[in-house]
Amino acid sequence: MKALTLLLLLTLWGTSTAQAGFPERAITVINPQAPGGAHDAQGRAFAAVAEKYLGKPIVVVNKPGANTMIGSIAAAQAAPDGYTLLLGSTMTTTVVEWDIINGKKPGVTRNEFVPIGSLTLIPTVISVPANSPWKSVADLVKDAKARPGQYAFCSAGILSPSHLGAELFARAYGLKFRHVPYKGGGPCLSAAVGGHVDFTTQFTITTIPLAQGNRLRILAVQADRRVKAIPDVPTLKELGVNAESYMWVGLVAPKKTPAPVVEKLQEVTAKAVQDKAFGEAIEKLGGEVHFMNGAQLEKYWEKETAEMAKLLGDLHREGVKID
Amino acid sequence: MNIFQNLGLGFQTALTLKNIYFCFLGCLWGSMVGVLPGIGPLAGIALLIPATYGMDVTGAIIMLAGIYYGAMYGGSTTSILMNIPGESASVVTCLDGYQMTKKGRAGAALFIAAWGSWVGGTLSVIGIMLLAPTLADLAMKFGPAEMFALLLVAFVLLGSLGTGSFLKSMAMIILGLLVGTVGLDNLTGAYRFTYGIRDLSDGIGFVPVAMGMFGIGEILSATEETLVHEFYQPRLRELLPNRQEFAASLGPILRGSGLGFFAGLLPGSAHVLSSFLSYIVEKRISRRPEEFGTGCIQGVAGPETANNAATGGAMVLFLALGIPTGPAIAVMMIALLIHGIRPGPLFISEQPQLFWSLIASMYVGNVILVALNLPLVGLFVNLLRVPFWILFPVVLLICMIGTYSISLSRFDLIVLLGSGVMGYILRKLRYDLAPLVLALIIGPTLEESFRQALMRSGGSFAIFWGSPMALSFMALAAFLLFWSIWRSLQPVSGKKS
Repeated sequence: MKALTLLLLLTLWGTSTAQAGFPERAITVINPQAPGGAHDAQGRAFAAVAEKYLGKPIVVVNKPGANTMIGSIAAAQAAPDGYTLLLGSTMTTTVVEWDIINGKKPGVTRNEFVPIGSLTLIPTVISVPANSPWKSVADLVKDAKARPGQYAFCSAGILSPSHLGAELFARAYGLKFRHVPYKGGGPCLSAAVGGHVDFTTQFTITTIPLAQGNRLRILAVQADRRVKAIPDVPTLKELGVNAESYMWVGLVAPKKTPAPVVEKLQEVTAKAVQDKAFGEAIEKLGGEVHFMNGAQLEKYWEKETAEMAKLLGDLHREGVKID
Repeated sequence: MNIFQNLGLGFQTALTLKNIYFCFLGCLWGSMVGVLPGIGPLAGIALLIPATYGMDVTGAIIMLAGIYYGAMYGGSTTSILMNIPGESASVVTCLDGYQMTKKGRAGAALFIAAWGSWVGGTLSVIGIMLLAPTLADLAMKFGPAEMFALLLVAFVLLGSLGTGSFLKSMAMIILGLLVGTVGLDNLTGAYRFTYGIRDLSDGIGFVPVAMGMFGIGEILSATEETLVHEFYQPRLRELLPNRQEFAASLGPILRGSGLGFFAGLLPGSAHVLSSFLSYIVEKRISRRPEEFGTGCIQGVAGPETANNAATGGAMVLFLALGIPTGPAIAVMMIALLIHGIRPGPLFISEQPQLFWSLIASMYVGNVILVALNLPLVGLFVNLLRVPFWILFPVVLLICMIGTYSISLSRFDLIVLLGSGVMGYILRKLRYDLAPLVLALIIGPTLEESFRQALMRSGGSFAIFWGSPMALSFMALAAFLLFWSIWRSLQPVSGKKS
C-alpha cells in the first residue's frame, strides 16, 4: 500500500512539471526518405545543433515510401501540437504536382503545412566521368547536338531533382538524351564514376568530394552564383542559359499547429541554422546554408510549385510516362 | 608501401582503453541487434548516432563500424537455433543450420558459424587494407550489364537450391519473381500491382517476407506438432564441433571469405547475395550435394563466413570512394559528416589517422566478437530448453518489433504475418521456401539491371557482351544452364560415385 502511494505521488510529481510550456518532451522530425541520403545528413546535422537551442532532444525518424509521399502524409496527419515535424523539400512539391497534372488527387498538398524555415538550398551540378573527353559544357553540347539521343545521363530516380535538373539543362540547349534512372544517388554516382553513363546532374554535396578526388569532372553549376567549394566552375547563368535547378530542405509543421508553438519552432530553427557548427557541417558536406524564415520559405515554395507545374506539364505532354 | 608502419600507428590509437571500450560497445550492441530477428545493423547504427554527437570522431566510427560487422556474427544464432533468420543475410544459414540443431549439433553449428565469421571478417579487413583503391576501381567497372550478367548466374543456380522436386522449386522461384514486381517501377515511374494502395508502392519488402516465411511459418508449424522439443542437456563435448566437422568446414570458410568479400563490393543486396552464392558454390563443389539441406556443416560454414566477409567488401567502396553501398553504411557516412569528416576518394590520404585506426579497430573488433560469441554458444543452446509456449510468442513479438522498426510501417507487419501464414501453408504442402525468398531478393535487381543496360545502349543487346566482365559472366551463366539441363537428362542410375 505504501509502495502504491509512493508510486502515485511520483507520477503526480512528474506531471506537475508538464505545465512548463512547449517543448515538454522530445520532438520528432520525419524524414520521408530512406536513411543515408543527403536529406538525412542535413536533418541529422540540424538535429544535433538545434537540440541545444530547443532544450529537448530532436529525433529524426525515417519513413520512406512512394517518393516521400508516405512520410509527408504521416506528418500531415500527425497531431498538430508541434511535436511532429516534416523534413520537407523540393521532392514534396514535385510529387504533389505530378499527381495533380495526371488528374489524381495527391496525398498531401502544400496547404496542409506551415513552413518553419529552410536549412539549405542546394543546386545541382553537371558532371562527367574523369576520363570523359568533354572539358566544358560547350564540348558536351557540341557532341550532343551532332548526335541527338546518343548520350545517356543517370539520375537518382524518375522525377528526382537529378532527373529534372538534367531535363532543364537539355531543354535549355534543345538537346535529346537517354535517361537511365537508378535507385538513389549512391548507385547513380557509381555509374557516373564508372563511366557507364556520359554525364549526370547531382547535388554539390555528393558530387564535390568525388570531383576533388579526380573521379568526376564538374562542368557547370545549375545556379545563379558560383559554389564556394568549387570556385573555378562556371554557372549555367554565366554561360547564358537559364536552367537553374535547386533543392530546398527545410522544416514544416502541420497546418493547424498553434501560432505560439510555430513561433518558438521558427525561433529555434533560425538560431540553429545560423549557428556556426551547423554551417561548418553543411560546408563540409559541400553545401551552403541558406536560411529562409517561415514567410520567405512560403513564398519560395509557392514560386517553386508554379515552376514545377510548368516543367512537369511539359514532360507530361511529351509523353514521359509515369502513373 | 609502409603498410605495416601505418597499421602500427593505427593500432596505437585503436588499442587505447577508450577506443577498445567503444569497439566493445559497438560489437556488443551489433551482436544483440543481429541476434534479434528483424532489427538489423541499420536500426542499430541509426539509434546510436545521437550518442556519437559528443564523442570524438575516431571513437564514433570505431563504434559504428563495430555495430555493422558485429551484426553479422549474431545473425546466425536464431537462424540455427530456431529457423528464424536474425539478419536477411542469414536466411541461407537456416537451411542447414536448423537441420543441424534438430540432429543435436546446434553447438557445433554455432561454433563453426562464429569461427567462420571471425576468419571471414579478419580476411576481409586484410583485403581492405591491401587492396581498397584497386578494388574500388574494379567495383566501378560493374555497370548494369555486368550486374545483370552476374545476377543471371545466380538466378540459373537458384534452381539447385531446393531439395525437393525441381518443378516445385520453379513454381516458388516464379512466385518470388512475381511478388518482386509489385511496387513503383523506378525506371518508368509506373505503379505495378499496387491497386492504389500507397503502402504497396515500395513493393513487398523481402525482410518481412523472409522473417515471416521462415520464422513465423516455423513457429506456426511447430505449435501444430505437439512438440516437446526433447532438448538434450548439452555437454561441453557436444557443444564443440568434432574433428570431421572442423576439417569439412575449412574449405567452405576459405572460399566463403573470398566470395563474400567480392560480393560485398557490389551495391545493393550484397550481403544476402554473398551467403547465397557461397551456399550454391559449396553445394556444387561438394561430393555429396544431396546432404545439403539435411544438416551439412558446409552449408553453415560457407554462408556465415561469406556474409561477414561481405561487410569488409561493402566498406571498400565507402572508404576508397565515399560511395555508400547500402543503407547501414550510408548512415555511418552521415555520422562522419556530422563530425565534419567528408568521406570521398581523398579520405584515405587526408585522414590516414582515422583510416588506419578504423582498420586496426576492425581486427580488434573481430577478436572481441569471437571472444563474445564462442562462450555464448552454450548459453544460446540452453535457450532451446525454454518451453516453446514461452519462447515462441516472445520470438514472434521480437520479429514484429524488428519488422516495424525498419520503416515504422504497419503495412510491413501485415506482410510479416501474411508471409507467416503463407510459409506455414507452403511448408505443409512441402514446398521449399528458400527459392521464393531468394527470387524475391534477386528478381527486382535482375530486371532493373537488364532494363538499365538496354536504356543505356539505346536498345542494343550488344552491351551484354561488350565488356570482358559482362561477357564472361554471360558465358558462365549459359554454361551452367546447359550443364544443368544436360545433367538432368542423364538417366537416373542410383547414387553417383
